[in-house]
Amino acid sequence: MADSIALPQNPPLTISTRFLRLIPGVALLAAIGFLGKLLEKNINLYAKSHHWTIPNIEYVLWAILIGLAISNIFGLAEIFKPGVATYEFWLKAGIVLLGSRFLLGDVWKLGGVSLLLVFIEIAGSLAFMTFLGRLFGLRPKLTTLLAVGSAVCGVSAIIATKGAIEADDEDSSFAIAAILALGALSLFTFPLIGHALHLSDHAYGAWAGLAVDNTAEATAAGALFSDSAAKLAVLVKTTRNALIGFVVLAYAIYWASRGQAQAVTNKAAFLWQKFPKFVLGFLLVSVLATVGFFTKDQNTNLANLSRWAFLLTFAGVGLRTNFREMRQQGLRPFLVGFIGEIAIATFTLALVIGADKLFHL
Amino acid sequence: MSNANSQPEPKSTQRFSLDSWAVMIALAAAILVRAGIIHRIPW
Repeated sequence: MADSIALPQNPPLTISTRFLRLIPGVALLAAIGFLGKLLEKNINLYAKSHHWTIPNIEYVLWAILIGLAISNIFGLAEIFKPGVATYEFWLKAGIVLLGSRFLLGDVWKLGGVSLLLVFIEIAGSLAFMTFLGRLFGLRPKLTTLLAVGSAVCGVSAIIATKGAIEADDEDSSFAIAAILALGALSLFTFPLIGHALHLSDHAYGAWAGLAVDNTAEATAAGALFSDSAAKLAVLVKTTRNALIGFVVLAYAIYWASRGQAQAVTNKAAFLWQKFPKFVLGFLLVSVLATVGFFTKDQNTNLANLSRWAFLLTFAGVGLRTNFREMRQQGLRPFLVGFIGEIAIATFTLALVIGADKLFHL
Repeated sequence: MSNANSQPEPKSTQRFSLDSWAVMIALAAAILVRAGIIHRIPW
Protein backbone atom coordinates (compact mmCIF):
# COMPACT_ATOMS: atom_id res chain seq x y z
CA MET A 1 0.00 0.00 0.00
CA ALA A 2 2.55 2.46 1.15
CA ASP A 3 4.77 1.63 -1.81
CA SER A 4 2.14 2.89 -4.19
CA ILE A 5 2.26 6.40 -2.73
CA ALA A 6 4.32 8.54 -5.04
CA LEU A 7 6.31 11.18 -3.24
CA PRO A 8 6.51 14.52 -5.03
CA GLN A 9 9.93 14.85 -6.60
CA ASN A 10 11.10 18.44 -6.76
CA PRO A 11 14.06 18.84 -9.06
CA PRO A 12 16.99 20.47 -7.21
CA LEU A 13 17.24 24.18 -7.90
CA THR A 14 20.35 25.46 -9.64
CA ILE A 15 22.40 28.17 -7.95
CA SER A 16 21.26 30.79 -10.46
CA THR A 17 17.57 29.88 -9.94
CA ARG A 18 18.02 30.07 -6.17
CA PHE A 19 19.71 33.44 -6.53
CA LEU A 20 16.97 34.78 -8.81
CA ARG A 21 14.29 33.71 -6.33
CA LEU A 22 15.90 35.95 -3.70
CA ILE A 23 15.75 39.14 -5.75
CA PRO A 24 12.08 40.22 -5.21
CA GLY A 25 12.27 39.76 -1.43
CA VAL A 26 15.66 41.46 -1.07
CA ALA A 27 14.38 44.32 -3.24
CA LEU A 28 11.37 44.60 -0.93
CA LEU A 29 13.64 44.71 2.15
CA ALA A 30 15.75 47.42 0.52
CA ALA A 31 12.68 49.42 -0.55
CA ILE A 32 11.14 49.31 2.94
CA GLY A 33 14.44 50.20 4.61
CA PHE A 34 15.04 53.10 2.24
CA LEU A 35 11.47 54.32 2.67
CA GLY A 36 12.05 54.27 6.45
CA LYS A 37 15.13 56.45 5.98
CA LEU A 38 13.26 58.84 3.69
CA LEU A 39 10.36 59.12 6.13
CA GLU A 40 12.64 59.94 9.06
CA LYS A 41 14.47 62.63 7.09
CA ASN A 42 11.46 64.22 5.40
CA ILE A 43 9.13 64.24 8.40
CA ASN A 44 11.83 66.00 10.42
CA LEU A 45 12.42 68.53 7.63
CA TYR A 46 8.68 69.14 7.25
CA ALA A 47 8.22 69.59 11.00
CA LYS A 48 11.19 71.99 11.15
CA SER A 49 9.91 74.10 8.28
CA HIS A 50 6.53 74.41 10.02
CA HIS A 51 8.15 75.07 13.43
CA TRP A 52 6.54 71.97 14.90
CA THR A 53 8.07 70.04 17.75
CA ILE A 54 7.53 66.34 17.18
CA PRO A 55 9.46 63.37 18.55
CA ASN A 56 12.05 62.02 16.14
CA ILE A 57 10.90 58.64 14.86
CA GLU A 58 14.00 56.79 13.73
CA TYR A 59 14.27 54.95 10.41
CA VAL A 60 14.56 51.73 12.43
CA LEU A 61 11.02 52.09 13.74
CA TRP A 62 9.65 53.19 10.36
CA ALA A 63 11.19 50.15 8.65
CA ILE A 64 9.74 47.81 11.28
CA LEU A 65 6.31 49.47 11.21
CA ILE A 66 6.07 49.40 7.39
CA GLY A 67 7.10 45.73 7.42
CA LEU A 68 4.55 44.95 10.14
CA ALA A 69 1.80 46.74 8.21
CA ILE A 70 2.53 44.86 4.98
CA SER A 71 2.76 41.49 6.71
CA ASN A 72 -0.35 41.91 8.88
CA ILE A 73 -2.67 43.86 6.57
CA PHE A 74 -1.89 42.48 3.11
CA GLY A 75 0.15 39.37 3.94
CA LEU A 76 3.46 38.55 2.31
CA ALA A 77 3.14 37.23 -1.26
CA GLU A 78 4.91 33.93 -1.94
CA ILE A 79 7.30 35.53 -4.44
CA PHE A 80 8.87 37.68 -1.72
CA LYS A 81 9.33 34.99 0.94
CA PRO A 82 12.75 33.53 -0.08
CA GLY A 83 14.32 36.99 -0.28
CA VAL A 84 12.72 38.25 2.95
CA ALA A 85 14.13 35.18 4.72
CA THR A 86 17.62 36.55 3.98
CA TYR A 87 17.18 39.18 6.71
CA GLU A 88 19.19 36.97 9.04
CA PHE A 89 22.03 36.83 6.53
CA TRP A 90 22.15 40.65 6.44
CA LEU A 91 22.08 40.75 10.23
CA LYS A 92 25.10 38.48 10.51
CA ALA A 93 27.04 40.23 7.74
CA GLY A 94 26.21 43.54 9.47
CA ILE A 95 27.56 42.28 12.80
CA VAL A 96 30.82 41.12 11.16
CA LEU A 97 31.28 44.56 9.59
CA LEU A 98 30.37 46.27 12.86
CA GLY A 99 33.61 44.77 14.21
CA SER A 100 35.36 47.71 12.48
CA ARG A 101 33.83 50.04 15.08
CA PHE A 102 35.25 48.10 18.01
CA LEU A 103 38.89 48.22 18.97
CA LEU A 104 39.99 44.98 20.54
CA GLY A 105 40.55 46.72 23.89
CA ASP A 106 36.86 47.71 23.97
CA VAL A 107 35.81 44.20 23.05
CA TRP A 108 38.08 42.85 25.79
CA LYS A 109 36.82 45.26 28.45
CA LEU A 110 33.12 45.32 27.54
CA GLY A 111 33.16 41.69 26.43
CA GLY A 112 34.63 40.65 29.79
CA VAL A 113 31.94 42.46 31.76
CA SER A 114 29.33 41.22 29.26
CA LEU A 115 30.48 37.65 29.72
CA LEU A 116 29.98 37.88 33.47
CA LEU A 117 26.52 39.42 33.04
CA VAL A 118 25.64 36.88 30.34
CA PHE A 119 26.58 33.94 32.60
CA ILE A 120 24.32 35.28 35.34
CA GLU A 121 21.51 36.03 32.86
CA ILE A 122 21.67 32.59 31.22
CA ALA A 123 21.72 30.70 34.52
CA GLY A 124 18.88 32.79 35.98
CA SER A 125 16.74 32.63 32.82
CA LEU A 126 17.12 28.88 32.33
CA ALA A 127 16.20 28.19 35.95
CA PHE A 128 13.23 30.56 36.00
CA MET A 129 11.76 29.50 32.66
CA THR A 130 12.07 25.83 33.62
CA PHE A 131 10.26 26.56 36.88
CA LEU A 132 7.50 28.47 35.05
CA GLY A 133 7.09 25.75 32.41
CA ARG A 134 6.58 23.16 35.13
CA LEU A 135 4.22 25.43 37.05
CA PHE A 136 2.03 25.88 33.96
CA GLY A 137 2.22 22.20 33.04
CA LEU A 138 3.89 22.71 29.65
CA ARG A 139 5.38 19.66 27.93
CA PRO A 140 9.00 19.20 29.18
CA LYS A 141 10.64 19.63 25.76
CA LEU A 142 8.55 22.74 25.05
CA THR A 143 9.75 24.09 28.40
CA THR A 144 13.35 23.36 27.38
CA LEU A 145 12.88 25.17 24.06
CA LEU A 146 11.32 28.21 25.72
CA ALA A 147 14.06 28.27 28.37
CA VAL A 148 16.85 28.11 25.77
CA GLY A 149 15.10 30.63 23.51
CA SER A 150 14.75 33.21 26.25
CA ALA A 151 18.12 32.56 27.89
CA VAL A 152 20.43 32.43 24.87
CA CYS A 153 19.46 33.65 21.44
CA GLY A 154 15.84 33.30 20.50
CA VAL A 155 14.86 31.48 17.35
CA SER A 156 18.38 30.27 16.41
CA ALA A 157 18.78 28.69 19.83
CA ILE A 158 15.37 27.03 19.58
CA ILE A 159 16.17 25.59 16.15
CA ALA A 160 19.60 24.38 17.31
CA THR A 161 18.11 22.79 20.44
CA LYS A 162 15.17 21.25 18.58
CA GLY A 163 17.54 19.12 16.49
CA ALA A 164 19.74 18.20 19.45
CA ILE A 165 16.97 17.09 21.84
CA GLU A 166 14.68 15.73 19.11
CA ALA A 167 11.74 17.93 20.07
CA ASP A 168 8.72 17.77 17.76
CA ASP A 169 7.74 20.44 15.24
CA GLU A 170 4.68 21.53 17.22
CA ASP A 171 6.77 22.33 20.31
CA SER A 172 9.30 24.31 18.35
CA SER A 173 6.54 26.26 16.52
CA PHE A 174 4.98 27.15 19.91
CA ALA A 175 8.31 28.29 21.32
CA ILE A 176 9.30 30.25 18.19
CA ALA A 177 5.91 32.02 18.05
CA ALA A 178 6.14 33.00 21.73
CA ILE A 179 9.71 34.29 21.39
CA LEU A 180 8.91 36.25 18.21
CA ALA A 181 5.79 37.84 19.70
CA LEU A 182 7.70 38.90 22.79
CA GLY A 183 10.57 40.18 20.66
CA ALA A 184 8.14 42.41 18.74
CA LEU A 185 6.74 43.68 22.02
CA SER A 186 10.20 44.51 23.36
CA LEU A 187 10.88 46.76 20.37
CA PHE A 188 8.18 49.13 21.54
CA THR A 189 8.59 48.84 25.30
CA PHE A 190 12.39 48.77 25.84
CA PRO A 191 13.22 52.22 24.39
CA LEU A 192 10.32 53.78 26.34
CA ILE A 193 11.50 52.23 29.61
CA GLY A 194 15.12 53.14 28.86
CA HIS A 195 14.23 56.79 28.31
CA ALA A 196 11.87 56.87 31.31
CA LEU A 197 14.68 55.57 33.56
CA HIS A 198 17.26 57.92 31.95
CA LEU A 199 19.59 55.01 31.27
CA SER A 200 22.95 55.83 29.69
CA ASP A 201 23.58 54.58 26.14
CA HIS A 202 25.87 51.86 27.42
CA ALA A 203 23.60 50.70 30.24
CA TYR A 204 20.60 50.59 27.90
CA GLY A 205 22.60 48.78 25.20
CA ALA A 206 23.79 46.18 27.69
CA TRP A 207 20.23 45.70 28.93
CA ALA A 208 18.82 45.26 25.39
CA GLY A 209 21.61 42.81 24.56
CA LEU A 210 20.94 40.80 27.71
CA ALA A 211 17.15 40.78 27.81
CA VAL A 212 15.93 40.80 24.19
CA ASP A 213 16.07 37.28 22.80
CA ASN A 214 16.52 37.51 19.04
CA THR A 215 19.68 39.13 17.73
CA ALA A 216 17.73 41.12 15.11
CA GLU A 217 15.31 42.50 17.72
CA ALA A 218 18.13 43.19 20.21
CA THR A 219 19.99 45.18 17.53
CA ALA A 220 16.80 47.05 16.59
CA ALA A 221 15.89 47.73 20.24
CA GLY A 222 19.39 49.17 20.73
CA ALA A 223 19.23 51.26 17.53
CA LEU A 224 15.85 52.66 18.59
CA PHE A 225 17.60 54.20 21.61
CA SER A 226 20.86 55.41 20.01
CA ASP A 227 23.67 54.35 17.72
CA SER A 228 26.00 53.82 20.63
CA ALA A 229 23.39 51.73 22.48
CA ALA A 230 23.00 49.57 19.36
CA LYS A 231 26.76 48.94 19.31
CA LEU A 232 26.77 47.67 22.88
CA ALA A 233 23.54 45.70 22.43
CA VAL A 234 25.19 43.84 19.53
CA LEU A 235 28.34 43.15 21.56
CA VAL A 236 26.44 41.79 24.56
CA LYS A 237 24.06 39.80 22.36
CA THR A 238 27.00 38.36 20.42
CA THR A 239 28.56 37.25 23.70
CA ARG A 240 25.27 35.52 24.54
CA ASN A 241 25.18 33.90 21.11
CA ALA A 242 28.72 32.60 21.54
CA LEU A 243 27.55 30.44 24.43
CA ILE A 244 24.76 28.73 22.48
CA GLY A 245 26.81 25.58 21.84
CA PHE A 246 27.46 24.93 25.53
CA VAL A 247 23.80 25.35 26.52
CA VAL A 248 22.52 23.17 23.67
CA LEU A 249 25.17 20.54 24.46
CA ALA A 250 24.11 20.47 28.13
CA TYR A 251 20.45 19.95 27.16
CA ALA A 252 21.36 17.33 24.53
CA ILE A 253 23.28 15.35 27.18
CA TYR A 254 20.41 15.74 29.67
CA TRP A 255 17.75 14.46 27.23
CA ALA A 256 20.04 11.68 25.96
CA SER A 257 20.56 10.53 29.59
CA ARG A 258 16.78 10.17 29.82
CA GLY A 259 16.75 8.12 26.62
CA GLN A 260 14.81 10.78 24.74
CA ALA A 261 17.54 12.03 22.40
CA GLN A 262 20.60 10.66 20.64
CA ALA A 263 23.81 10.62 22.67
CA VAL A 264 26.46 13.17 21.68
CA THR A 265 29.58 11.23 20.70
CA ASN A 266 31.98 14.01 19.69
CA LYS A 267 31.45 17.00 21.98
CA ALA A 268 34.08 19.21 20.32
CA ALA A 269 32.55 18.69 16.86
CA PHE A 270 29.09 19.35 18.34
CA LEU A 271 30.27 22.65 19.87
CA TRP A 272 31.91 23.76 16.61
CA GLN A 273 28.80 22.86 14.63
CA LYS A 274 26.57 24.95 16.91
CA PHE A 275 29.02 27.83 17.34
CA PRO A 276 27.84 30.99 15.53
CA LYS A 277 30.64 31.62 13.02
CA PHE A 278 29.77 35.31 12.63
CA VAL A 279 31.21 35.86 16.13
CA LEU A 280 34.62 34.86 14.73
CA GLY A 281 34.11 37.16 11.74
CA PHE A 282 33.23 40.04 14.09
CA LEU A 283 36.39 39.41 16.15
CA LEU A 284 38.57 39.16 13.02
CA VAL A 285 37.35 42.52 11.67
CA SER A 286 37.80 44.03 15.13
CA VAL A 287 41.43 42.76 15.21
CA LEU A 288 42.05 44.19 11.72
CA ALA A 289 40.61 47.57 12.79
CA THR A 290 42.77 47.51 15.94
CA VAL A 291 46.04 46.87 14.09
CA GLY A 292 45.27 49.72 11.66
CA PHE A 293 44.53 47.54 8.62
CA PHE A 294 41.81 50.01 7.62
CA THR A 295 42.18 53.79 7.36
CA LYS A 296 39.75 56.05 9.22
CA ASP A 297 37.70 56.60 6.05
CA GLN A 298 37.63 52.89 5.32
CA ASN A 299 36.41 52.22 8.87
CA THR A 300 33.61 54.74 8.31
CA ASN A 301 32.73 53.01 5.03
CA LEU A 302 32.57 49.61 6.74
CA ALA A 303 30.42 51.02 9.54
CA ASN A 304 28.04 52.49 6.92
CA LEU A 305 27.93 49.19 5.08
CA SER A 306 27.02 47.53 8.37
CA ARG A 307 24.18 50.07 8.82
CA TRP A 308 22.80 49.24 5.36
CA ALA A 309 22.87 45.56 6.22
CA PHE A 310 21.02 46.26 9.48
CA LEU A 311 18.48 48.37 7.60
CA LEU A 312 17.50 45.31 5.53
CA THR A 313 17.35 43.29 8.76
CA PHE A 314 14.95 45.74 10.43
CA ALA A 315 12.62 45.64 7.42
CA GLY A 316 12.74 41.83 7.65
CA VAL A 317 11.88 41.90 11.37
CA GLY A 318 8.63 43.70 10.56
CA LEU A 319 7.82 41.55 7.53
CA ARG A 320 8.25 38.20 9.23
CA THR A 321 6.11 39.18 12.27
CA ASN A 322 2.57 38.02 11.64
CA PHE A 323 0.37 38.36 14.71
CA ARG A 324 -2.46 36.26 13.22
CA GLU A 325 -0.16 33.26 12.79
CA MET A 326 1.22 33.73 16.30
CA ARG A 327 -2.25 33.83 17.84
CA GLN A 328 -3.03 30.44 16.31
CA GLN A 329 -0.23 28.85 18.37
CA GLY A 330 -2.19 29.02 21.61
CA LEU A 331 -2.03 31.12 24.73
CA ARG A 332 -0.19 29.05 27.34
CA PRO A 333 3.36 29.06 25.87
CA PHE A 334 2.91 32.76 25.17
CA LEU A 335 1.82 33.37 28.76
CA VAL A 336 4.80 31.46 30.16
CA GLY A 337 7.08 33.38 27.81
CA PHE A 338 5.45 36.69 28.73
CA ILE A 339 5.78 36.20 32.50
CA GLY A 340 9.30 34.86 32.07
CA GLU A 341 10.39 37.75 29.85
CA ILE A 342 9.07 40.37 32.28
CA ALA A 343 10.97 38.68 35.10
CA ILE A 344 14.15 38.38 32.98
CA ALA A 345 13.87 42.01 31.79
CA THR A 346 13.48 43.23 35.39
CA PHE A 347 16.29 41.01 36.66
CA THR A 348 18.71 42.03 33.88
CA LEU A 349 17.82 45.70 34.31
CA ALA A 350 18.84 45.50 37.97
CA LEU A 351 21.97 43.58 36.92
CA VAL A 352 22.96 46.22 34.36
CA ILE A 353 22.33 49.15 36.72
CA GLY A 354 24.50 47.40 39.32
CA ALA A 355 27.25 46.65 36.74
CA ASP A 356 27.12 50.24 35.47
CA LYS A 357 27.82 51.49 38.98
CA LEU A 358 30.61 48.94 39.55
CA PHE A 359 32.37 48.82 36.16
CA HIS A 360 31.20 52.10 34.55
CA LEU A 361 29.91 50.48 31.37
CA MET B 1 6.33 -0.05 7.36
CA SER B 2 6.21 3.22 5.58
CA ASN B 3 8.46 3.90 2.67
CA ALA B 4 9.12 7.37 4.04
CA ASN B 5 11.81 5.94 6.29
CA SER B 6 13.47 3.93 3.56
CA GLN B 7 13.91 6.92 1.26
CA PRO B 8 17.57 7.85 0.99
CA GLU B 9 18.23 11.22 2.59
CA PRO B 10 18.85 13.77 -0.14
CA LYS B 11 22.42 15.04 0.08
CA SER B 12 22.58 18.63 1.18
CA THR B 13 23.78 20.80 -1.69
CA GLN B 14 24.71 23.61 0.70
CA ARG B 15 28.39 23.36 1.53
CA PHE B 16 28.39 26.38 3.85
CA SER B 17 25.99 27.50 6.54
CA LEU B 18 24.21 30.87 6.46
CA ASP B 19 26.68 32.04 9.12
CA SER B 20 29.68 31.11 7.02
CA TRP B 21 28.25 32.82 3.95
CA ALA B 22 27.57 35.98 5.94
CA VAL B 23 31.16 36.00 7.24
CA MET B 24 32.65 35.37 3.78
CA ILE B 25 30.59 38.06 2.06
CA ALA B 26 31.26 40.60 4.83
CA LEU B 27 35.01 39.88 4.71
CA ALA B 28 34.99 40.13 0.91
CA ALA B 29 33.28 43.53 1.22
CA ALA B 30 35.89 44.61 3.81
CA ILE B 31 38.70 43.60 1.43
CA LEU B 32 37.08 45.55 -1.44
CA VAL B 33 36.91 48.61 0.80
CA ARG B 34 40.53 48.09 1.93
CA ALA B 35 41.73 47.67 -1.66
CA GLY B 36 40.06 50.94 -2.60
CA ILE B 37 37.71 49.27 -5.09
CA ILE B 38 34.78 50.57 -3.04
CA HIS B 39 35.70 54.19 -2.33
CA ARG B 40 32.77 55.61 -0.50
CA ILE B 41 29.68 54.15 1.11
CA PRO B 42 27.28 56.97 1.99
CA TRP B 43 24.71 56.76 4.76
